[in-house]
Amino acid sequence: MVEITFVHPDGNRRTVGAAPGTSIMQAARDNGINEIIAECGGAMACATCHCYVDDAWTDRVGRRDDAEDDMLDFAEGEVRDTSRLSCQIALSEALDGVIVHLPDVQG
Amino acid sequence: MAQAPINEAVSLADLARDPYSIYRRMRLETPIVEVPAARRIMLTKAKHTRMVKDNAELYSSDDPVTPMQRAFQAHTLMRKDGPEHRAERMAMQKALSPKVIKSDWAELYRKIASDYLDRLPRGERVDLFTDLCGPVAARILAHILGLDEASDADMMRWSQTLIDGAGNFGFAEDPFAKSDAANAEMNAYFDRIEARHRAEPNNSAFSIMLNAANPLPIGQIHSNIKIAIGGGINEPRDALATILYGLLSNPEQLEEVKRTEAWSDAFEEGVRWVAPIQASSRRVTEAHQIDGIDIPEGVTLMTIQASANHDEDLFENGHLFDVFRKKAPHQAFGSGPHHCSGAQVARKTVGEIMLPMIFERFPNMELVPDEKVIWHGFGFRGPLNLPVTLN
Repeated sequence: MVEITFVHPDGNRRTVGAAPGTSIMQAARDNGINEIIAECGGAMACATCHCYVDDAWTDRVGRRDDAEDDMLDFAEGEVRDTSRLSCQIALSEALDGVIVHLPDVQG
Repeated sequence: MAQAPINEAVSLADLARDPYSIYRRMRLETPIVEVPAARRIMLTKAKHTRMVKDNAELYSSDDPVTPMQRAFQAHTLMRKDGPEHRAERMAMQKALSPKVIKSDWAELYRKIASDYLDRLPRGERVDLFTDLCGPVAARILAHILGLDEASDADMMRWSQTLIDGAGNFGFAEDPFAKSDAANAEMNAYFDRIEARHRAEPNNSAFSIMLNAANPLPIGQIHSNIKIAIGGGINEPRDALATILYGLLSNPEQLEEVKRTEAWSDAFEEGVRWVAPIQASSRRVTEAHQIDGIDIPEGVTLMTIQASANHDEDLFENGHLFDVFRKKAPHQAFGSGPHHCSGAQVARKTVGEIMLPMIFERFPNMELVPDEKVIWHGFGFRGPLNLPVTLN
């Protein structure tokens, strides 16, 4: 199991466990993290699983590629350097303990 | 091993007239069921429809015998999978993004909505379906696509002709003769305005595709625009009419929506309640089972989003319009790689611009009491009329 901590816009935190190989989006959906809507189911055809990777984790998580960057144009919330689509972040042991911040709006 | 039960009794006419009571019984008794009238195995539960839409490898959109290809004179992105689909979809995605809507279009859409509301006569019976919902959807789409010169009537006629051709499963001659004529008109018009969009690049879908660093072949650009015409008028038209009906027939909810400015919630509930696109088809690429039912290779499954959106697993009293119901994910815009490209445009134009403006302009609007609103449709569904008095 890999642990992921979601930080809600109001600062509240929730830590959940997920199996390596799944995505942060899937972990959020499986655990009722409602800020992650994931309307397209992880096909990178919408931007409703937008999240911000915590500064301490950006190197290990990696940056978005061009296709993901194009799709983030659809995000309702502010897009920052740390913005990612959570469906594109595959969980591995290396990401055990990862922290992601949830946007205040999700279209 | 078990084959899907077969429902010989239900006809397409039944489904067009009153689908929701039929789907409720199917969800309860035969959630996966072969319906010979539709020549498909229907999936009526939310978990199944979503699973199918999300897995494009096992459930392909590519239908080798679709009448859509004949109607559009092209193999379109709607019926493609994988990287080919993605490339064509992304080519015009930018024109449909919330950022471009905000930066380029929101003011124009407000003006269009306002102008169309100004035209409506006060104190009289008006059919908002024909006099507002259709024309305003056509006008806004024309600007998104870069087809500014096309009239509302032409946009609506092209759209309906393409839809009728794409749904011509019996391959009758007349609908294809009409879609051929419409294709010729559209191609000639697109050719006429191409130079303008090249000379003056802008954020319309046509211009973005023409001026891309690695543009699609012109034939694909044309077919993308046609897909947007076919898929971008009736849906916002039906969504707007459905939501207006839901609010007008539930005045206490309407008051609460106005008070709390819950227009986005009203939008989501309206498209959940009666999804403008009720069903989709996917071809099975490998034999397998769903919940113990055999699903053979090559069969066509029909995901019934309309039914998924009323599924008791997610929605209590799903047959009722209730803006303030407990939130749960609906599938009115589909799911997976073919998730509706226009979802955000619809949310902005219908939910954020049109709805509040209509009720601000006509605060005492009422349904005409003696005139029944007729609902119709199996694949696509919405009211056929919306008679109101504007006070």
